[in-house]
Amino acid sequence: MTKQRMPAVKTADVWKVFEHDGLAVEAVRGVSLDIEPGEFVVLAGPSGSGKTTLLNLLGGLTRPTRGGVWIDGRDLTSMSERELAKLRLERVGFVFQAYNLLPVLTALENAEFSLLLRGIPPDERRRRVEELFAVIGMTGLEDRRPAKLSGGEQQRVAVARAVVGKPALVLADEPTANLDSAASDALLGVMADLNRERGTTFVFATHDTRLMERAKRLIRLVDGAIESDDVRQDMGG
Amino acid sequence: MNGRLRVLPLLAIRNVRRQARRSLLTASAMALGVAVLVFSRTLADGGHEDWIESGVRLGSGHVAFQAPRFRATSNIEDRLTASAAATAQEALGVPGVAEHVRNVAPRLEVQGLANSPTAAVPVAIVGVNPDLEATFSELADRVVEGRYLQAGDRLHAYVGTRLADRLDLEVGSRLVLTAQDARDEIAGQFVRVVGIFRSGLPVADERLVHIPIGTAQSWLGVGADVTTVAVLLESGWVVPDVLQRLHDVLAGTSENLVVLGWQEAMPQLDAAIKVDDLGNYIFNFILYAIIILAIVNTVLMSVMYRTREFGLLRALGLTKRQTAALVFGEGVFLTAVSGVIGMVLGFGFTWVFFRNGLDFSFMLDNDFTFSGVVLEPVIVPAFRLVQVVRSLATIAFVGVLASLYPAYRATRIDLAEAMKFEA
Ligand SMILES: Nc1ncnc2c1ncn2[C@@H]1O[C@H](COP(=O)(O)OP(=O)(O)O)[C@@H](O)[C@H]1O
Ligand SMILES: [Mg+2]
Repeated sequence: MTKQRMPAVKTADVWKVFEHDGLAVEAVRGVSLDIEPGEFVVLAGPSGSGKTTLLNLLGGLTRPTRGGVWIDGRDLTSMSERELAKLRLERVGFVFQAYNLLPVLTALENAEFSLLLRGIPPDERRRRVEELFAVIGMTGLEDRRPAKLSGGEQQRVAVARAVVGKPALVLADEPTANLDSAASDALLGVMADLNRERGTTFVFATHDTRLMERAKRLIRLVDGAIESDDVRQDMGG
Repeated sequence: MNGRLRVLPLLAIRNVRRQARRSLLTASAMALGVAVLVFSRTLADGGHEDWIESGVRLGSGHVAFQAPRFRATSNIEDRLTASAAATAQEALGVPGVAEHVRNVAPRLEVQGLANSPTAAVPVAIVGVNPDLEATFSELADRVVEGRYLQAGDRLHAYVGTRLADRLDLEVGSRLVLTAQDARDEIAGQFVRVVGIFRSGLPVADERLVHIPIGTAQSWLGVGADVTTVAVLLESGWVVPDVLQRLHDVLAGTSENLVVLGWQEAMPQLDAAIKVDDLGNYIFNFILYAIIILAIVNTVLMSVMYRTREFGLLRALGLTKRQTAALVFGEGVFLTAVSGVIGMVLGFGFTWVFFRNGLDFSFMLDNDFTFSGVVLEPVIVPAFRLVQVVRSLATIAFVGVLASLYPAYRATRIDLAEAMKFEA
């Protein structure tokens, strides 16, 4: 690599202040971080600590009150709504807590949705989704509608959709919050596998202490600010 | 570039199907509305066709040839010469006109008095060709005593019941008609009642007298001249085209001759139809407003209810415009389906049950006259292609209109808010 490695996502003194009943709520307070391609970051913190708001800032769903956010070195704060939409389509994958899937599309159609919007030809879409489905253990469930899938299966489809377009980063906001521990472990396992095998960058917010233990890099948020940011030795496994 | 957005119509259609119950409710409201619209429109058109038909039969036809000043003066001086009448007959033979002509009746009309030994009544005396007139005016079908005029009749008259009452006439009675003749002198003509009619129209029953045209011509000293060549067309719908064609044909003529449409000849009837149409339009407008509200409600409800889904679509990279297009598409699709169902139902219902007419006679005790026209108590709906096309266009318009606001609302949602989970 000749040029300097560029962070998948970077923030510099980013703030988000909400007006709430005339009071200013500082949801994110001066966060600066660099996340390199291929990292698997767990964003931990109690409820209300600003995890969701920070993820939304990273993914261009919310504009910062102050400070900057860059994906692939591109400044999100200077982008129009349209440019942000294109960036989300091509460079960011989201996995939310629940209701991630479009109810009228099948598992396969949901997973290939962003490829469809990007005009990828059907053969290639199908090939890429099938390949992923094999990795995440969804083979055979392609034609099911979300209502006919378990919570864990739905989240796995959401993960497949998030990673299938080879984004710069995947933002997962408490994706296991609605799952039992077996399904949570399985989902985390899937994400860890994808991170290891394909180098997909994950930023994963959770307040589940059990999941925090599996992080390679753990960022703790308290009251909207970073309390600690630890890169740990690979725990193996 | 557009190929990749093919997923949006697919989504829209599936979304409408998913909310089957709500969609169905809106669809039936809309279908019912459109059905009522179609039904009322075909009946109104049918009714008006009847009005025009009755009006033009008793009056001067769908189109009439006269001397330019006759309509204003009703004076025998302003008559058509025999050669002008021949020019009129020729004009009726040109392509674009000939195929629409049903009946042609030359008439000699004059205002005068009908005198009996006991009284005198002002009347409109019409010299007619009995054979041609019998199928034209339908007065022949309204005989209550005696018969209508026939070819070969000379000193015969066909009068209405009211005139018969006022002059104390019966079949066989004699009366004297007086009027100003071509030499500007008062001339009298003796005739004998051959038949009495009842049209139901008071003015006609009291004031209208038919006599053979030859008798009228020699009495008034006009040779072979007439005052009007009245023309019945196959329907009221072709009048504008035929009129235009006749205007073109007559543009170069040196004859003292004009052609009038029934709207000019019978302005009161025209006005009555326009007023009735206005009433219909107001009614239609209200119906459309209801349909629009129903669609706005359904589509808007589904937008409110699916904030999260739209948030998700935006998070996945749909632009505001694409999100709006999706909601808009759902609205238009819903409208299109329900609109077409409504039209089929409306036309179908009207066709199956009222093709042969809707009988209003139970509502009417007496003859129903309106603006000088005897209305038939049976209205036959008129089915017209232009009506179908217009309905389709209106449905499309309504669908677009009703889907705009929900589409706009879908762009207003706050992304972070939409994706929030309450703890
Ligand atoms: N749209 C908003 N308006 C006002 N306050 C908000 C809004 N979103 C989040 N907050 C506040 O910001 C803080 C951080 O919230 P959030 O980012 O959701 O935290 P977490 O995801 O860690 O639970 C909370 O105090 C929350 O009440
Ligand atoms: Mg949160």
